[in-house]
Amino acid sequence: MEFIHTHFMASKQLPNYLLSYRKRSALSQGEVAFLLGIRSGSKISHYERFKREPGLQTALAYEAIYQKPVSELFPGLFEKIQREVKARAKILEHRTFSGNMIQVATRKRKALATIVSAEAKSQSTQS
Amino acid sequence: MKKLCPKHIRVLGIAASWQGIGFAVMENESRLVDWGSKRGNGDKNARCLSHVGNLVAQYAPNVIALESTRLEGSRRHLRVQSLIDQIVRMAEEEKIKVKRFSRKELSAGFLSNDEGTKHDVALHLAARFPEELGFRLPRKHTLLVNEDCRMDMFDAVALAEHFLRSGE
Repeated sequence: MEFIHTHFMASKQLPNYLLSYRKRSALSQGEVAFLLGIRSGSKISHYERFKREPGLQTALAYEAIYQKPVSELFPGLFEKIQREVKARAKILEHRTFSGNMIQVATRKRKALATIVSAEAKSQSTQS
Repeated sequence: MKKLCPKHIRVLGIAASWQGIGFAVMENESRLVDWGSKRGNGDKNARCLSHVGNLVAQYAPNVIALESTRLEGSRRHLRVQSLIDQIVRMAEEEKIKVKRFSRKELSAGFLSNDEGTKHDVALHLAARFPEELGFRLPRKHTLLVNEDCRMDMFDAVALAEHFLRSGE
């Protein structure tokens, strides 16, 4: 038997799942702020409600707290950045790498092809 | 059994009661995104409706799953029925689909028969989502003690999960 939800429009992936992970761990916003080394819990609320994006140091601290890679904690943001990188990689792919040795140019093309063909990370945080 | 869904279906389950509302946001493959309960004082309906509005704005759900209160046998208070009607109107304004399930449908969906209690369904859900709900399961409700407001949260999860499982 197959269930089909095709009559519903697919919604955008959420920028992050910080709130889900915090609720799972039963930590309060104040406690997470303390762990992140941030003074106020209101910043945490802004991150969790998608009003603000954390910096790299905070993102890595989140990874240390919830034991999940940053790309899984911020899948929507990751997908958006990945799309932009792919678009730029496609532009770079069409450039001629003049002045490079053939081996170097081949290596570059291979690296760019890998970026362009990379699959978007699926949601694997339900664990 | 196979489920075919668009990549991201997001369901907002809302369970209204005399105390306030329970809510649960779920995505396909039964991923619990947000859950909790909101108790209202004063104008309960206005407060609860405002909270539902915030959830809709934040999560942009495709579907809102609610309890059917118009069916025979439903004993929901008029205020709760009015709140549910207001949520339905809000969903229509936001062009969000609404699915309503009766308590019997929920019991039949989660238990082997439709005679189980809300607590039986909550037990099932606590086992299904141990990390999220396992430690929040309230004690069984007795005649002498009011029902724990966390039970609204379990009802909301049941509504959202039932929608995702039924594939309607």
